[in-house]
Amino acid sequence: MGSSGQGQSNFDLSFKILLIGDSGVGKSSLLVSFISNAVDDLAPTIGVDFKIKLFTVGGKKLKLTIWDTAGQERFRTLTSSYYRGAQGIVLVYDVTRRDTFTNLSDVWAKEVELYSTNQDCIKMLVGNKVDRESERVVSREEGISLAKEFGCLYLECSARTRENVERCFEELALKIMEVPSLLEEGSTVGKRNILKQKQEQHTPPAGSCCS
Amino acid sequence: MSMRSNSSSSYSREDDRNKDTSSPSTLDSRFNQTLRNVQGMLKGRSFPGKVLITQRSDPLDQSALQSPSNNIRFSNNDIEHGEQLDRSAEDVIQTRSNANASSSANKTKASTASTENTSNEVQKTVMGARSTDSARLMKFQKELSGTTVVLEKLRELAWSGVPPYLRPTVWRLLLGYAPSNSDRREGVLKRKRLEYLDCVAQYYDIPDIERTDEEISMLRQIAVDCPRTVPDVSFFQQAAVLKSLERILYTWAIRHPASGYVQGINDLATPFLVVFLSEYLSGSVDTWSMADLSPEKISNVEADCYWCLSKLLDGMQDHYTFAQPGIQRLVFKLKELVRRIDEPVSTRMEEQGLEFLQFAFRWFNCLLIREIPFHLVARLWDTYLAEGDALRDFLVYIFASFLLTVI
Repeated sequence: MGSSGQGQSNFDLSFKILLIGDSGVGKSSLLVSFISNAVDDLAPTIGVDFKIKLFTVGGKKLKLTIWDTAGQERFRTLTSSYYRGAQGIVLVYDVTRRDTFTNLSDVWAKEVELYSTNQDCIKMLVGNKVDRESERVVSREEGISLAKEFGCLYLECSARTRENVERCFEELALKIMEVPSLLEEGSTVGKRNILKQKQEQHTPPAGSCCS
Repeated sequence: MSMRSNSSSSYSREDDRNKDTSSPSTLDSRFNQTLRNVQGMLKGRSFPGKVLITQRSDPLDQSALQSPSNNIRFSNNDIEHGEQLDRSAEDVIQTRSNANASSSANKTKASTASTENTSNEVQKTVMGARSTDSARLMKFQKELSGTTVVLEKLRELAWSGVPPYLRPTVWRLLLGYAPSNSDRREGVLKRKRLEYLDCVAQYYDIPDIERTDEEISMLRQIAVDCPRTVPDVSFFQQAAVLKSLERILYTWAIRHPASGYVQGINDLATPFLVVFLSEYLSGSVDTWSMADLSPEKISNVEADCYWCLSKLLDGMQDHYTFAQPGIQRLVFKLKELVRRIDEPVSTRMEEQGLEFLQFAFRWFNCLLIREIPFHLVARLWDTYLAEGDALRDFLVYIFASFLLTVI
């Protein structure tokens, strides 16, 4: 219980991931689908929520702290502080709603620019709800082209059928581990407490705060 | 407070689902314990908590005050009586038996088990409880039958729970929507209901070209949220319910431009919908069908929901304006209160880097609707509405107790 953050850790690396995107695109569903295999309908996220997932990628045991944010603009002042120190940011849109796609450039990319403190942070574009193929209005090609423009990873998935859901977080994690500065953060931040927002600036580096 | 891995940051109904198998009956009792602890904390505070507590011989106030996190065993007190009144409500507003989700089978079982548990406990004191119940019912009826309802007295009674069949009447009075003078009541309600219809015609029933871009995006946001409002209660998925909810929320939002529609306000409309519909529909909420209601009845229910939602939110406008300062302030107060009550817990949370905003923001934004089983919400709101203007401060106490009980 709660031992994962302290003392003997049962993971090798710890990363902070952030989910952003318009309201109703399926950020929470994606997260729940990844964490617990459940595909229930969910109520709109209020403010921020987070879940922790331990899993193994590339022979490394990872602890992912995944912050799930509300999409509505009114919560933006609250959610903006969670960009800080994230090693990975997932920008989600709904392939059946074009406005959620155009808002990635109009709104969300700008938010990342403004609030992300991590220069090397890995970004990933995710088109959700591909199970509703007949309602699709944003093509795969458009998605890929925007991802190229942003210089980020790209994947289409379905939280409902779980298609590509695990792969999304796996690829993100693998990419993060390829970047030396992020890898370094993942192995030191992990020894500290990842929930702590403000600590980033104040705590002396390299595990001095644990037993 | 420890963080469970693979789990949510905050106590939520999703967590209950996972816990159901191991501790099926803890939910209702935990809810009761929360309310009792609040009574303990309220000692020394002015009306109504103080009045109610001094009238009661509740030997547990002391321990609740000193250590709400201990597992205190309660055998009998007023809250339970309120709960017992509510048991008939559980027939009407039945627990969330959801036909489509597999997990709901567990939930239903769990709540059935806990209801049985409650009734077992009640059995022990059945005579006393019954006489108290009928006495309480009499008091309510007496209070409501006068030419002028004395609101202070009604608040005092309602604080411990309102009999379900009186709930619509009592809530309308407590919120100041229905006038306390019975001669004026019918006329005022009639006028208000017509006024609501006018608003809907003026703001909602118009083509999109007559709306501003902002209004269109607000309407779109509401339309996205309505189908995911209380998703585990299937009744809310009915097309006619979604439409009613959409009209109420949009009309409210247009008339309150300082905040507009904010996610979570959709949750706040649901207790009103269920309570006012209970005047026309009987049986379990899952068996209700809007098709059984005439358009006139539906529009009356909608109007009542709209006005009651407005009255409730009048006292907390700044909870939903830019940056939501009202909620920020209450979260800060909650943090301070928890520190005063339970320093070790407070310290531990700090060590873990767990911030109150991370879990309590939603509690204030949705008034705990997301955190407790839906069939218990109306009972909790009896107490909320009885608090009236003091509700905001009262929430801080409720949530402190909720937090320390969960731990």
